[in-house]
Amino acid sequence: MWRPSNIDRPTGIFVGLLVLSLALVTIDLRASGEGLGSTLRDGAQAVFAPVERVVATGTRPIAGFFEDLSNLFSLAADNQRLRDQVTDLQRQLQETESVRIRVAELEALLGVEPPGGLDSIAASVLAVGVSEFDQVRVIDKGSADGVGVDMPVVDEGGLIGRVVAVTNDVARVRLITDPTVNIAVRIQRTGETGVLTGRGSGPMVLELFNTDAAVVEGDLLVTADGRFPAGIPVARVREAARAEVGFSLRTTADPVAGLTSIDFVKVLVFTRDEATVTDLEDQSGLPLPVPTEGGTPSEGDSDEAPTTSTTTTLGGSAP
Amino acid sequence: MKVRRLIATAAIVVIAAAVQTTMFATIRPFDAAPALVLLVVIAFARHLPAEAALLLGFGAGILQDLLSDSALGLWALVLTTVAFFVLRFRDRLEDDFSLIGPFVFGVTAGGLALFSVLSTIFGEKTLADVGLIKKVLLPSLYNMVLAAPILPFATWVLGAARRRSTPFQL
Repeated sequence: MWRPSNIDRPTGIFVGLLVLSLALVTIDLRASGEGLGSTLRDGAQAVFAPVERVVATGTRPIAGFFEDLSNLFSLAADNQRLRDQVTDLQRQLQETESVRIRVAELEALLGVEPPGGLDSIAASVLAVGVSEFDQVRVIDKGSADGVGVDMPVVDEGGLIGRVVAVTNDVARVRLITDPTVNIAVRIQRTGETGVLTGRGSGPMVLELFNTDAAVVEGDLLVTADGRFPAGIPVARVREAARAEVGFSLRTTADPVAGLTSIDFVKVLVFTRDEATVTDLEDQSGLPLPVPTEGGTPSEGDSDEAPTTSTTTTLGGSAP
Repeated sequence: MKVRRLIATAAIVVIAAAVQTTMFATIRPFDAAPALVLLVVIAFARHLPAEAALLLGFGAGILQDLLSDSALGLWALVLTTVAFFVLRFRDRLEDDFSLIGPFVFGVTAGGLALFSVLSTIFGEKTLADVGLIKKVLLPSLYNMVLAAPILPFATWVLGAARRRSTPFQL
């Protein structure tokens, strides 16, 4: 028969710590990113950032050695690839000018402001997530430099993510590949809107709401007007797709930003409040969030707070 | 247990977390990095007294939670479980040292899998990650390789000798 005395002391401590852990998880989830957990995280990040700077400086020679080693193996292939790229770019350069004029005209027609007009803050990536499951980057600019929560972050390729937490000196950026992130996007070629969802790694999932829309391989997806400013390149369609009967059209797309090797980024000084984001979503025919008890409306480009909101996709509605 | 060793252990956990987030941001063979904090917990739990080992797992987990986007307490739960598992099996490992490599691999893979399941239960969609298998197996493999220098290092830091006859005797 079971008696408490059958449990040895370490097992008792183990069970106690498990209960404490579960209590912390519950409290943190109920706070939905606010409260004690958020304060502790910000504090820990502020305290830990100097340690990361010192360790990054100290381990740079080791990291550099391994980086050089890996570069050595890929040098010949890189040379050939770059030669091909130069040839290709020279050809594209000739075509670009006429395309640029056409794009400016189309953007004016769509009422879309190019994101290039925004102020930006240059930053470098200080650290990555502490585990393989963390789709975050820590950048070396914080509120003292003008960085704020919700600001989009880009590299030379396109959208990387958005700022989710800021301390005085550093900020945490959640990557677009995080499975909890949904981004409202538009196919640049056709103007069709849809939602791009992260899958942790590899290609992202694109859902379009017009089942008659044509999606071809290589189509560039840019941000639709919502949480992010319109027109930031996000991903490129991986394969052509056709609609599943009665539902939305689904395919996959590769992020255009170099998410696996980010060194320097730009934070765009741009934020929108929830009401504006919701209005823009309504106008563009993007899916509306299903309000849940106590939950805040989900974003068109949303980082879903766990267990607080759900986004539904309604098939067949043209934007 | 001497305070000096406790402080050294805590400092090594912090440094491991910093190395994980900085150096292993660059060194990522096959786009994966070792789970260094988890490995440090395994290495030190082999030698620490039972209570200290469990608190080390919990503390390292809290630190990892604070530095990550996961719910506060998830990594604490996982690393406490890892420490408990090491406590239960550490004497068998002493008897047959050839088991240490597979043991580190198994415990790392088990810990990461446990985190995936728990975080999904708590709404973080970790199991939806298409690269999940790779994110569990490659860090486990790297941890097995890194166990060769890290485990003896932990033994050296803690003054090596465990003076106990059962897994839980202090």
